[in-house]
Amino acid sequence: MTVLRDQVVKSLVQVEVKANEDGLIPGFNVLVNQLPVAFWNTVAERLMAITPPERKAEMESSLVNCAYECGYHTGYGIITSPEFQSVVMPMVTEGAKDVLRGAFAVFTAWGWAKSGIVQIRDGERMVIRAVDYYEADGGGSGHRAYMVQGVSKAFMELAYAAPYPNGMNTFTCEQTQGIEVGDPHGEFVVTKK
Amino acid sequence: METAKTLPGGTYGECREVCVTQRVGRKSAIPPAEVEGLKGNLETTSIPDLLQFLNAGGKTGQLLLERQSDRPEGRTYFSAGALVHATAGAATGMDALVEMCGWDRGSFAFYANVLSPKASISMPVQQALMEAIRILDERHRPDPKVARPEKERSPRMAKSTRTSTDILEDFLKVPGVLSAVIVGRDGFVIESAGGSSAVNIEDLGAALANAINSVEEMGGELQVSKFQDLFVEYGRAVILCRPAGDAILVVVAPDASKLGIIRHKVKPLVDELSQSL
Repeated sequence: MTVLRDQVVKSLVQVEVKANEDGLIPGFNVLVNQLPVAFWNTVAERLMAITPPERKAEMESSLVNCAYECGYHTGYGIITSPEFQSVVMPMVTEGAKDVLRGAFAVFTAWGWAKSGIVQIRDGERMVIRAVDYYEADGGGSGHRAYMVQGVSKAFMELAYAAPYPNGMNTFTCEQTQGIEVGDPHGEFVVTKK
Repeated sequence: METAKTLPGGTYGECREVCVTQRVGRKSAIPPAEVEGLKGNLETTSIPDLLQFLNAGGKTGQLLLERQSDRPEGRTYFSAGALVHATAGAATGMDALVEMCGWDRGSFAFYANVLSPKASISMPVQQALMEAIRILDERHRPDPKVARPEKERSPRMAKSTRTSTDILEDFLKVPGVLSAVIVGRDGFVIESAGGSSAVNIEDLGAALANAINSVEEMGGELQVSKFQDLFVEYGRAVILCRPAGDAILVVVAPDASKLGIIRHKVKPLVDELSQSL
């Protein structure tokens, strides 16, 4: 038995996306907002547009880092949530590998990116493919799937680095393909630093 | 004078390479009545395809397979569509069939109404071909006990230079393949090529993950190691699955008529795909 993505997605799309008085979905500790994807894409696009050429790499790194920090803490909230424990954990037979499969199923169920694992080498390397992710339709040039890059790295650290919150900056993620540059899918390779 | 005519039954239109002739008034070592039929070369038409065609057509006669002069020839005999006998050099029966399924160069000719001198194969053509190809695969599979040279283990050296997208496109060139899909163990559809009106690709990923889980659990309980090949025939589609790296390669065909050639052609592509993934 391994984590069956379809079952996870079907269960989690039933979770009510309703914030408490702190603006969080209680079970997941995830901040709810209803801003359109185009808003976030525009923010990233404008930031890149006003950044001088010599600092564009730095800005890209910062945008990835936004998603990374969010992904690390939100990801922890997700994998320790009662919903994850009841839906995903009973199917986990391959340890961290299965937890990651479950995490990307949640990532898909909540509409962040239709994404999944192509390859995992325990604690060393992970390859993710994604379609229909935030920046796939955004403007700009070059690979710019900042969100999936950051979150992929964060999830790998939650699975294989030191226990939360001490596992940050153990892995790095490189985008190797992107829909935004004409490839059939986005591809992201996470490796140990 | 040489006149082309349509193939018997007219249902073999996909096999464009087969040359069908009727010779009239030409001096030949073989009597005209016997020459009438099929001939061609193995570079463009595979032996499994030929045998399935002769089976489907209910043929009686001998299929002669000739290679270079220093190599043994092969003969298969059909009686009313049933494969009854095969020889390849000194080998006979299934041994001969296995031998011939590995041939991809040479020529063939079918001589109608030549009766078999003996019977050495008693199973249906489809089953005999699947068994022959399975044995052939086993022979070509590297012995895990034999250590490979260090340079072959290097990921950089072993890495396929083609992308999974390129390789998937090649699956569609195999006769009879409608679609090829790479599915993660959790049911995530990693990539697909082609399409089938009978099978929804997204549903296939989810259903397959369930099926593979069950099959692997069964393998674990029976202690027969991991699954290597899964073939399911439905009324409107045939689904063939093989592990490819961490994922599963799924091939969808409309029916089982070309299963032999599909299994034969798909194997090296799956090996390449495994490296690519």
